[in-house]
Amino acid sequence: MNWKRVLSLMQVDRKSGRLIRGQKLTRYRENLFFAYWPYWVGLGIGLAVGLLAGFGYNLAFASDLSGAQEFQQAALSLFFSLPTLVLIYSLVFTMLQQIQKSGVKISSQAPYWLPVTWQEHTLASILASLLGFPLASVFFVTSAIMIFSFFAGLMIPALASSLAVFAAAFMASTTTEILRILQVRFIGAIYKSTGRAAVWVRFAGSLLFFVVFYILYFYVVSGSGALTFIQTIASAQSSAWFIPFVWLGLTLYSLTSGLFLQGIIFLIFSLLFIGALFGIAASLNKRFGLYEPPAITVSRGVYAPKTGFLGKLGFSLNEAAIIRKDLRAFTRRRELMTVFIVPIVIILVPIMQTLGQTQAMPPSITFFFAAMTFLFPSSVLAMSLGTFMMGEEGKAVWRIYSSPVSEKNLVRSKYFFVVLFALIILVVTGTFGTVIYRLSYRAIFIAFIEGIFLVFALGAVSLSNGIKGADFTETPRHRMIRQSTSLINLIECFLAGIAMLVPFVPYLLSSTISEFVPNLSIPSFLDPYVATVISGIVAFVFSTVFYRVSVGNSRKLLEKAEV
Amino acid sequence: MVSLSKNDSATVELRGVVKRYHEILAVNQLDLTIQAGEIFGLLGPNGSGKSTTLKMLLGLVKPETGNVKVLGIDVLNDPVSVKQQVGYVPESPRLYEFLTGIEYLDFIGDIYGMQTDEKKNRINEYLKALQLEGREGDMITSYSDGMKQKIALISAFLHRPRLLVLDEPLNALDPRSARIVKDFLQELKIQGVTTIMSTHVLEIAQAVCDRIGIMYQGRLLALGNMKELRELSKLPDSGLEEIFLKLTGTGDTRAIVEELLK
Repeated sequence: MNWKRVLSLMQVDRKSGRLIRGQKLTRYRENLFFAYWPYWVGLGIGLAVGLLAGFGYNLAFASDLSGAQEFQQAALSLFFSLPTLVLIYSLVFTMLQQIQKSGVKISSQAPYWLPVTWQEHTLASILASLLGFPLASVFFVTSAIMIFSFFAGLMIPALASSLAVFAAAFMASTTTEILRILQVRFIGAIYKSTGRAAVWVRFAGSLLFFVVFYILYFYVVSGSGALTFIQTIASAQSSAWFIPFVWLGLTLYSLTSGLFLQGIIFLIFSLLFIGALFGIAASLNKRFGLYEPPAITVSRGVYAPKTGFLGKLGFSLNEAAIIRKDLRAFTRRRELMTVFIVPIVIILVPIMQTLGQTQAMPPSITFFFAAMTFLFPSSVLAMSLGTFMMGEEGKAVWRIYSSPVSEKNLVRSKYFFVVLFALIILVVTGTFGTVIYRLSYRAIFIAFIEGIFLVFALGAVSLSNGIKGADFTETPRHRMIRQSTSLINLIECFLAGIAMLVPFVPYLLSSTISEFVPNLSIPSFLDPYVATVISGIVAFVFSTVFYRVSVGNSRKLLEKAEV
Repeated sequence: MVSLSKNDSATVELRGVVKRYHEILAVNQLDLTIQAGEIFGLLGPNGSGKSTTLKMLLGLVKPETGNVKVLGIDVLNDPVSVKQQVGYVPESPRLYEFLTGIEYLDFIGDIYGMQTDEKKNRINEYLKALQLEGREGDMITSYSDGMKQKIALISAFLHRPRLLVLDEPLNALDPRSARIVKDFLQELKIQGVTTIMSTHVLEIAQAVCDRIGIMYQGRLLALGNMKELRELSKLPDSGLEEIFLKLTGTGDTRAIVEELLK
């Protein structure tokens, strides 16, 4: 193993982030502080949290020895569960990184012809997957527990736990590497066996994978889910001794409990397991590292009719062509498919949470879930599609720039796509909401109409920002929109959404009050139909104004199309 | 097919064009006129401003000063009309890799407003001529570089433009396809189509182009047909390579090679 080569390969991956950050391209000089900023931030926050916890510990237990002992026991059990916890988090985040990198072929292809062994390649790839957030969070965890342990007198367990946390992160990244290689090979086999249906098989398969993955992800990182998760790990780790991934935690537990022989056995087994994982990853890379899935044959000699259905809707030939092209992009490019996942997850998570409920929920809570199911997914889709629609062109945007496409053509085709898909999602999620929450006809009608208003308004706002802040960077992953513009868009959409939903506030307040005072009559000016009409006027204003802003932004984009 | 006589007004006119990228002067006071039905070769070392000049013809790069007229239209005033009549192949054409070859060309045909039958016939003709038949239903991501270049070239030719702007058009092409493209450009020239191409393969420029412009550090160093260039360089019996190296002051290659061999 040539460590210098491994380091060089890793540096390539780290430096690929420069393009995302939009650095100055000529006479570039690296600022080492900013180059490693996530790790400094991780260390800094960890240091602050550790100090806070330490001072808090000193203050609380200065004269309470038994309390201090109890707290130390609790801290120790947290230390034991940290490796398993970090392993699972790292697994989620390294996989998330791989998902974001999918669709970008060039960044992972370059060095295969260099004199580098597969072991070096694999190690560099594993370590590179940890760069960024996963490693920064490891720095945060280890610095926090080390500083805290200084106050609590737990230096040795904290040091051991920190080492185990690094090993766990490595274990997670190695597992991700194995899954990545297997997934590429598996997809190749599927393409071969499904023939021309491969595109749709891939679309459905990817959606399914992402839905399961994101539900797990939201469960693991969301407040109550995360707490339950940590408690489960702390209590269930010992009984799951036969799972190699928890052996690091069991090593810590055994050593600090005085079970030295057991601890050493788990330590040896842990190291052997990490070695075995690495061996598997290296040999899989050796075998399939250069494997390219077979070409997907979609069609032979199929021509679209002149403008088809889109022509009947009033779209010109070039607008219809752009819409069809975008439809194919969103069903074939894996990094774009994820746009459809969020609305699905948004519906599934509350439904899953309500499934376990044995008691009937109060009407206001039901109303909240129903409104969320109706309005939230389509609004989120309109926002994300709007912001991505221009940037998704990537480096191939020269085709749009050099084609006879006017600013109006561009905005019409992109806006139609945004609105169409958000409305489809509204119908799907609305149907789910209607079935699950059993709402009144009036509520269903108003929710659908309000959903349509939100889609048109938020779609226009987001498209204007998506065009203004379009980022065509493709390496190391598709960027699609500048971070600052994305943030501005979020604020604008939030304000637009509030402005549209404000007319409903009097009705909602009065109906919440009427839960407590049943005899209260609602004045007619608070009627939700009236609120819907007011909301519709607000939506019309937002849609018209921001559609025009989109056309203006599109003109500017096409005018300074410096490719 | 659009037919133009050579007496028509200039297809391309650049007057006092300047373009700067931050502190780098990419194009410096460029004046150039290209007549209809001409095959014009734009040569120059890397970074001499060739690609920037070609991009300015489509309005993809805005000049700081000066004006650019293509087919009598000011590019900055009406870029869409210019683009409608121009076929363009960039230096490294990035295609929509999630589309199949035929879907991509179908998309291009629609973008240029072609009728379905015409589009279908032409796509089939080009696919056959450039030996892409049988692969047109595969996603572009699975194509070799040469195949992608063929698709980029077809997409430039498909709508029968009046002006072709080709940046390194024969990159990665196999000899047969390169020959077809060269012959095709000659046939289009007879029909009045103007071609502006940049290339580093000087043999191609010498064989195909009517006139050649040599750019160096953003300026047009020399302009003319082979005879005029020979006179200008005072190399009466030389080929384009010797002329190019002498004019750009990069001719002392032997000394460099000897230095490298030490």
